Amino acid sequence: MTVNDDVRTVRTACPAHCGIDACGILAHVKGDRIVKLEPAEFPNPNDRRICLRGLSSLDVTYHPDRLKYPMKRVGKRGEGKFERISWDEAFDTIVDNFQKIAAKHGWRSIGWAPGGPGAGTTKFGGYLRLASLTQSTRISAWGYGDSGMPCGSRVLFGTHTPFALLTTQLPASSTKGGLVVAWGTNPAESQPLNLMRPVMDAKAKGARLVVVDPRFTVTASKADEYLGLKPGTDAALALGLMDVIFKKNLHDVDCITRYTVGPFLVRKDTGKFLRGIDAGIGEVNDYIVWDDHGNSAVPSKSSEIKAAITGTYTVNGIECNPSFQLLSDLAGEYSLEKTAEITGVGADIIQKFGEAIGTATATTFLTHMGMSRTYHGDISMRAMGTLAAVTGNVNSAFGSGHRPATLNWKPFLHTVPEKPSYSRLGILNLYESVISGNPFQVKAVFFAFLNFLNQCVNSNKIINELFPKLDFIVVADLFMTDTARYADIVLPAASFLEFSDFLPFPYPYVQLQQKVIEPLYECKSDVDIASELGKRFGFEEYFSQGEEGFIDILLDPEKSSMQGITQEKLKEGAMLLDFIDLGGDTIDVTYSTPSGKMEIYAENLYEVGQALPGYLEPYETPLTPAKGKYPLAYVQGHHRFRHHSSFANVDSLLKLNPEPQVDINPIDAKARDIIADDWVTVFNDRGRATLKARVTEGVVPGTVNIYQGWWFEQFKEGGFNALTHDVVNPVQAAVFEPNMHMNDNAVEVVKYKEVQK
Amino acid sequence: MKKRLGLVFDQERCIGCDTCTVACNKEHDPAEGNWIWVETQKVKIKDTPQGVFPNLTMNFLPRTCMHCDNPPCVGACSPEALIKREDGPVVLNGDLCDGCKACMDECPYDAIVFSEETGLVEKCDLCVHRVDEGLDPFCVICCEGQAIHCGDFNDPESNVSKMLSDKAAFHLKLEAGTQPVICYCPPQEKMRF
Repeated sequence: MTVNDDVRTVRTACPAHCGIDACGILAHVKGDRIVKLEPAEFPNPNDRRICLRGLSSLDVTYHPDRLKYPMKRVGKRGEGKFERISWDEAFDTIVDNFQKIAAKHGWRSIGWAPGGPGAGTTKFGGYLRLASLTQSTRISAWGYGDSGMPCGSRVLFGTHTPFALLTTQLPASSTKGGLVVAWGTNPAESQPLNLMRPVMDAKAKGARLVVVDPRFTVTASKADEYLGLKPGTDAALALGLMDVIFKKNLHDVDCITRYTVGPFLVRKDTGKFLRGIDAGIGEVNDYIVWDDHGNSAVPSKSSEIKAAITGTYTVNGIECNPSFQLLSDLAGEYSLEKTAEITGVGADIIQKFGEAIGTATATTFLTHMGMSRTYHGDISMRAMGTLAAVTGNVNSAFGSGHRPATLNWKPFLHTVPEKPSYSRLGILNLYESVISGNPFQVKAVFFAFLNFLNQCVNSNKIINELFPKLDFIVVADLFMTDTARYADIVLPAASFLEFSDFLPFPYPYVQLQQKVIEPLYECKSDVDIASELGKRFGFEEYFSQGEEGFIDILLDPEKSSMQGITQEKLKEGAMLLDFIDLGGDTIDVTYSTPSGKMEIYAENLYEVGQALPGYLEPYETPLTPAKGKYPLAYVQGHHRFRHHSSFANVDSLLKLNPEPQVDINPIDAKARDIIADDWVTVFNDRGRATLKARVTEGVVPGTVNIYQGWWFEQFKEGGFNALTHDVVNPVQAAVFEPNMHMNDNAVEVVKYKEVQK
Repeated sequence: MKKRLGLVFDQERCIGCDTCTVACNKEHDPAEGNWIWVETQKVKIKDTPQGVFPNLTMNFLPRTCMHCDNPPCVGACSPEALIKREDGPVVLNGDLCDGCKACMDECPYDAIVFSEETGLVEKCDLCVHRVDEGLDPFCVICCEGQAIHCGDFNDPESNVSKMLSDKAAFHLKLEAGTQPVICYCPPQEKMRF
């Protein structure tokens, strides 16, 4: 294909669900049709990249099944019978229904549920602004993405996501003697995809790669050592590794003392940190440490002291230990034998892995939404993060570098400062809210770029208990998704090539997702949909700016990292965030935890028994298969052929990966008389999924995997989320919001025919 | 000296993602089949490791036309639709192809595809439309793992010559005697604990 004179190019970016990746895309346009996509140039050529999904984006935009005009339901919910209506009728119907429901149940009963926006911003912001102005409810989607990771990260690091802390080690460990640990993450196929190149670069420079995962993933195939553990046992492995490290004195005492609460004394009687008021020294709220030089208790901020991190001390009559001692005691309970027994990983390899972490010049821990997508995923995250912290492998020392992107979100999150904004509900809390009115009743939901029924747990409960209790359901999406079938009004949304948005990724760049063509058919962008609704609700002044206006609000030049970044300049390509040059100096950035340190001990979780990241058995994952009715653990891998349920209907990718399969180890297959390509039913009390079996050594015995994202119609019966439970972890609910536990479920698998009898 | 263009596939960097296949299909829109595809080495089913859990290995092997120096497909093509260009690529002139499939019988690499739809064969042409403009083939610029390298094997200083000088670099089915140009670098040895 030669580039003709009549072909113009537009620089845009893919906002898809890789989230922190956002590949730059150069679209070739002939007339009003996009004819080709290619990876766009970046200031650093090494960042020029695309993937098989990004390349297939035209197959989505030009898919014959695109929703083309607004529709209203004419059959029963789920039946899929719809009738074309005008946009005016669609908007009027939505506004009318929402106002009636709000009059009866209050505005909090109206829920706005935009999905994970990927790398996008304003398409998300439009709906948040609507929720804020109408003082209705924002339904947060973190709980289905993975809120275990943010919950754990908040407790330990005080940050919502841990990447910025953990991955900063990558340059240091990209050398001979360095170690890279990919733990419950598969960057070769799934988010964060843009880490795979740096990981392979690190290997090329002599670093060792270790992968910890119940599945032998593509990333695992690149590993120097692979640890195939049982799902949900990550915290036990982390504690076992810490025990190896502590016994050999390979932990980093300086880092523990400087960056963690390790030296802070903890009262034996209350489990809380000893404070100035308890000790009768310093100021009331001072944290107290034991100074080995002066042999006395002193405020932690005192200078010229040598704070003890081990031992038992009595201060003002109160018996105390430095919190590191408590961690060390806990790790001491995880002998090699016990850790091996729990995790299924060999004792010798645990010993060697612990020593490798302890002796590496630097270790980078990478994790992302795999191990933490479990009932105790927050604990797994904390345990792994604690391992990184006590070995000096978490760094908040900021040297010269680019500032993180800070956007002006306030006008969307809290649009009128003097009035209240929206209520917030985690998406797993939506179930109880709709079904039982706890903590308050939601009666109508607007789903935008969220295939709720496909992506969220316990599909049959949604169909049979949740949806029937909703008076009104709206779905804005590209296709007649599993969720859209249950909508009262379906709105055709624009694909990413048909509207503009701002993408603050991939660090250290920001990009413009520049509109390449006008929306096809009658499709509208999410910002336009939200704006039309906003105007009808009487908030015209907040919704007359369009996408570009919203982007300008986000790009507030007052925000220091955004210096000099404008939409006009972004049209030409990715721009670098503001660079701070500190010469050779570094600044210790304070952690946003209550103590300002990494909280390897969280006093606020003492009452619930989780002050330390002690291993807790998975909620449902059977670790001792003989005992249960459902003896197999069930996890949901993420495949390179889809972003969640997007791209599951694209021919170019279906050609390579045509149908759902369940991965089952030969041991488990043989015990059930299952051979490759047999039709099998995966089931439990909640539901079933019937699909082909893929017999592979690539999954730990006792565990089966279904790559998520397939639509219901692609299974012989059921679906991958018909099997998952919706139990709320109250600790996560208190810390942030509760997690859906896609990787913490029990199932049985049988040959399909056996169920039919 | 005339050029001898070709590819090096680096198995260490290949993550088997199939992006090359999708990229090629987008660039060339073949009527049927893939001109480049990725196999999982030594197994029939893609993405399947060898061994017993957890002692497993899985390596990917991208496959395409080897742009042989002694291409049997060219000799077998009576309408002379297939030619070996002076600078290396073995290319097909679809206008001359009569769909006799003689080339397919001769190719030891299964790199030539027959389309029922058009009644003609198709194959990788090393993206000569791009190469002639000084650009890399489309699969090269799209490769997720940066595992595909294109260059001139006659230039000892080129990226591909340097990779080929790696002692472990290998060609597929050398015994077939077609003098394949495309070569492979094997995965790094595992650095076990």
